[in-house]
Amino acid sequence: MRLFSWWIRRALGAAATLVGVSILVFLALRAMPGGFAETILGPFASEEQQRELAQRYGLDDSALAQYWLWLQAALGGDFGTSMISQEPVADELSSRLPVTGQLAVMAVLAAVFIGVPLGVLTAVRARADGGGTVGRLLSGLGVSLPEFVLGSIVVFLFSRYALGLSVGGYVPFGDDPAANLRAMILPAAVLSVFAISATARTTRDAVLNVLVEPYVTAAVARGESPAFIIRHHILRNAAAPVVVLITTITAYLLGGAIIVEYLFNLPGIGSYVVQAVGRRDYAVVQAGVLLAAAVFIVLNVVADLLVGLIDPRLGVTATGRQT
Amino acid sequence: MNPFLVVDNLAVDYEAPDRRVRALDGVDLTVEPGETVGIVGESGSGKSTLGSAVGRLLPQNAQSVAGTMSVDGEEVFGLSIGGMRRLRRERLGFIFQDPIGSLDPTKRVGAQLKLALRGRGSAPDVARHLERVKLPDPRRVARAYPHQLSGGMAQRVAIAIAMASEPELLVADEPTAALDSQVRDDVLSVVFTLAAEAGSGILWLSHDLAAVGRRCARVAVMYGGRVVEDGPAAEVLARPAHPYTDALAGSAPAAAAPGERLQPVPGRPPVLTGPSPGCAFADRCRFAVQRCAVERPRPVRVRTQDVLCHRAAELAESGALAAHAPPPSRMAPVPVPVGEETT
Amino acid sequence: MVAAFGSMANLGGDPAELAGARLQPPSPEHWLGTDHLGRSLVPRLLEGVGVTLLLSSIAVLATAVLSTALGILAGYAGGALNDLVMRLVELLYAFPSIVLAILVAAVVGPGRPAAMAAIVLVTIPLMTRLVRAASAAVSQRDYVTSAIVSGVRLPKILVRHVLPNVSGTIAVQGTYALSVGILVEGGLSFLGLGVQPPQASLGVLIQEGGVYMVAAPWLIIAPGVVLILAILSINVVGDGLRDRFEPRETRSLR
Repeated sequence: MRLFSWWIRRALGAAATLVGVSILVFLALRAMPGGFAETILGPFASEEQQRELAQRYGLDDSALAQYWLWLQAALGGDFGTSMISQEPVADELSSRLPVTGQLAVMAVLAAVFIGVPLGVLTAVRARADGGGTVGRLLSGLGVSLPEFVLGSIVVFLFSRYALGLSVGGYVPFGDDPAANLRAMILPAAVLSVFAISATARTTRDAVLNVLVEPYVTAAVARGESPAFIIRHHILRNAAAPVVVLITTITAYLLGGAIIVEYLFNLPGIGSYVVQAVGRRDYAVVQAGVLLAAAVFIVLNVVADLLVGLIDPRLGVTATGRQT
Repeated sequence: MNPFLVVDNLAVDYEAPDRRVRALDGVDLTVEPGETVGIVGESGSGKSTLGSAVGRLLPQNAQSVAGTMSVDGEEVFGLSIGGMRRLRRERLGFIFQDPIGSLDPTKRVGAQLKLALRGRGSAPDVARHLERVKLPDPRRVARAYPHQLSGGMAQRVAIAIAMASEPELLVADEPTAALDSQVRDDVLSVVFTLAAEAGSGILWLSHDLAAVGRRCARVAVMYGGRVVEDGPAAEVLARPAHPYTDALAGSAPAAAAPGERLQPVPGRPPVLTGPSPGCAFADRCRFAVQRCAVERPRPVRVRTQDVLCHRAAELAESGALAAHAPPPSRMAPVPVPVGEETT
Repeated sequence: MVAAFGSMANLGGDPAELAGARLQPPSPEHWLGTDHLGRSLVPRLLEGVGVTLLLSSIAVLATAVLSTALGILAGYAGGALNDLVMRLVELLYAFPSIVLAILVAAVVGPGRPAAMAAIVLVTIPLMTRLVRAASAAVSQRDYVTSAIVSGVRLPKILVRHVLPNVSGTIAVQGTYALSVGILVEGGLSFLGLGVQPPQASLGVLIQEGGVYMVAAPWLIIAPGVVLILAILSINVVGDGLRDRFEPRETRSLR
């Protein structure tokens, strides 16, 4: 019962944050200098034209009324119409979501299957005298390599020396899986470098913290092997911060995807939103930013759920995240 | 019979970024199979380091710099990793100070005990092991997570886990220091009963001279990284031969007669950075002479005790060290009533 | 420090000067070659580093001041103030950093103010949270209680007792925030939403270099390497500070 009410409170909190985020985004975009009408019609449009346009898009209503209309529609899955392309934003987003989603999933998989083992290994091998320096430097380099630098270099190398993988030329996975993977592997790899390094670092820290716990010493004292101790006592105890990090990274990847999509010319959500910012396309920016925030908030709830399952001490009584 | 544990002139250093600290400064100690030995000392005396060293469980910044230590003839610091693991698994057992912390917080008690039984334990086996440590309602305890147990219950679980392999020597590092005083005696009774049944020796590390004297056959007093007095428990308590033991016995509340003032040991224990040039206790010793500060004492025999003190023989003869009230006779292991603890 | 960054921009000649032919490879005359307008890259790079560091440092300084004030007050006072601050922080925390930066650029309009505001908003949530946690922990200690009991005034308690105990957290997080700031500026300017050409910043140079990458790879390699080295070295300093403030024991499984 207590568990149930805790989850209800958690879900309500998440919903409240989402509403707060939507208000913030809505107000922020209304505060933009240079109105929509001017952007669309150019500086030389007549008063008449401007008024007509404002009426058509409801720009004359009060802010509250506009927000309310927009919120109602959004709850029904309607995020309005792009003021530039005249296409429904929801359609555009849902056709672009698979691209961004695939990028994020590929990078997260790399983080889990490469970053976690790397982190465990470097932690277990770490010595007081600074032996793990190499791993630490490498992961330090990994989190210091921004996508726009790494991506530019990758684009340059592969387009100049034709290393067998194409840059650009996105094909949906359903149409031709091989061609899709050929187009996606490079951008996903660029995204993965950060994800893998950050995961490896966090895993290493988490494992180092667990290694000094008395129950690990107790297991060593019972004569258990390192592999046994890692499997039975370390992985689960070190998992909570790693799970939280990976959900954070997933949200970050949605942001990183913006740059990678721009660089590799992929038709994802990121490139759509960047274009929309330049054109002051309210509805698109709102929906895109809101989508990113919503994904993050939902992932956070999922992380809380997972952490509660992993560590019986945290499930019900703790407030989930330490805010 | 050969002694089970032989420590010979063992020295261990901790390396900190800015300095080196000597924790053990030439320890000599022998434990016979099945013998119960109490190691008594203040914090910083080196007793925990000694206990960890038996299982080669020292932190990575610690290293043995001199001397040897062997378990049943096998040199601990020379063993291969696999050999050390076998030694820990088959012949040694450990109990630590923090009972709840030494259990894995993410695993149910039953599952942890099963792991310690190396997968051979069925549910009834698990229950039987929990019953042996006098835990009420073993089935419920087996389903609990460590954080749902009281400290006393958790320590019983840890004892059950440590004793599951019937070790030849059980090293207990202050096993009751974190517990409420009411349950301490019960927990100790469980330890000594199970060890007696299995024929296990006990190395009990404690700061409580009187408590150790009640349970152990022998007492070794540590100071400044060395064993300064070693002998039969009753003798060491009643007629200490080292000035430090004498001071320790005088500072224990239990040793004072009603109305008598407790005598605190003046000063603080030393922090050594290398081999002590003389007797480490010289600064605090009311009998110290010039020689004590510059010459390391060698063990001398006083009555039944081995003592590290230049003036031991002289002090014993003159009777300068007061005789203390004899401790209550060693308590036979008493069955503990079940059900005194709740979550 | 700020002055040093500023004056660096003036070394190595005038960054706007059209010093030679376009897209020339590195030569004794122009050590790092010239760009698409014929400007020498050395002064451009120095200007870029100066602009990026100056902008990020000022933004992180603002973050540090705001986070420290908010975090200490929330952590010490608890209750409603704590809830309010944490709600706001959580709201900002719900945006992935580049998304938040883009939103800021959309509102403020592309340019340096947008980049700075974006850095502040991106770095504030984590730092405020950690300062709050540290200050809440310190506020429970006996010496703070005894200071309250003995009638020491609140500002004095906060400055004398709480601030020194959270300064380690601030130093460590401030260092990491600086590298995040450089990344945010870089990303935003790279997308054309931060610092605007002809002014140079690391992000601007990398974006320009990217365009001419095939013809003149040195244009992206030099600023790219500088950016990576800057972030790497700042993170190493951060790790060092953290190890100093939070030393830890290591153990072996063997």
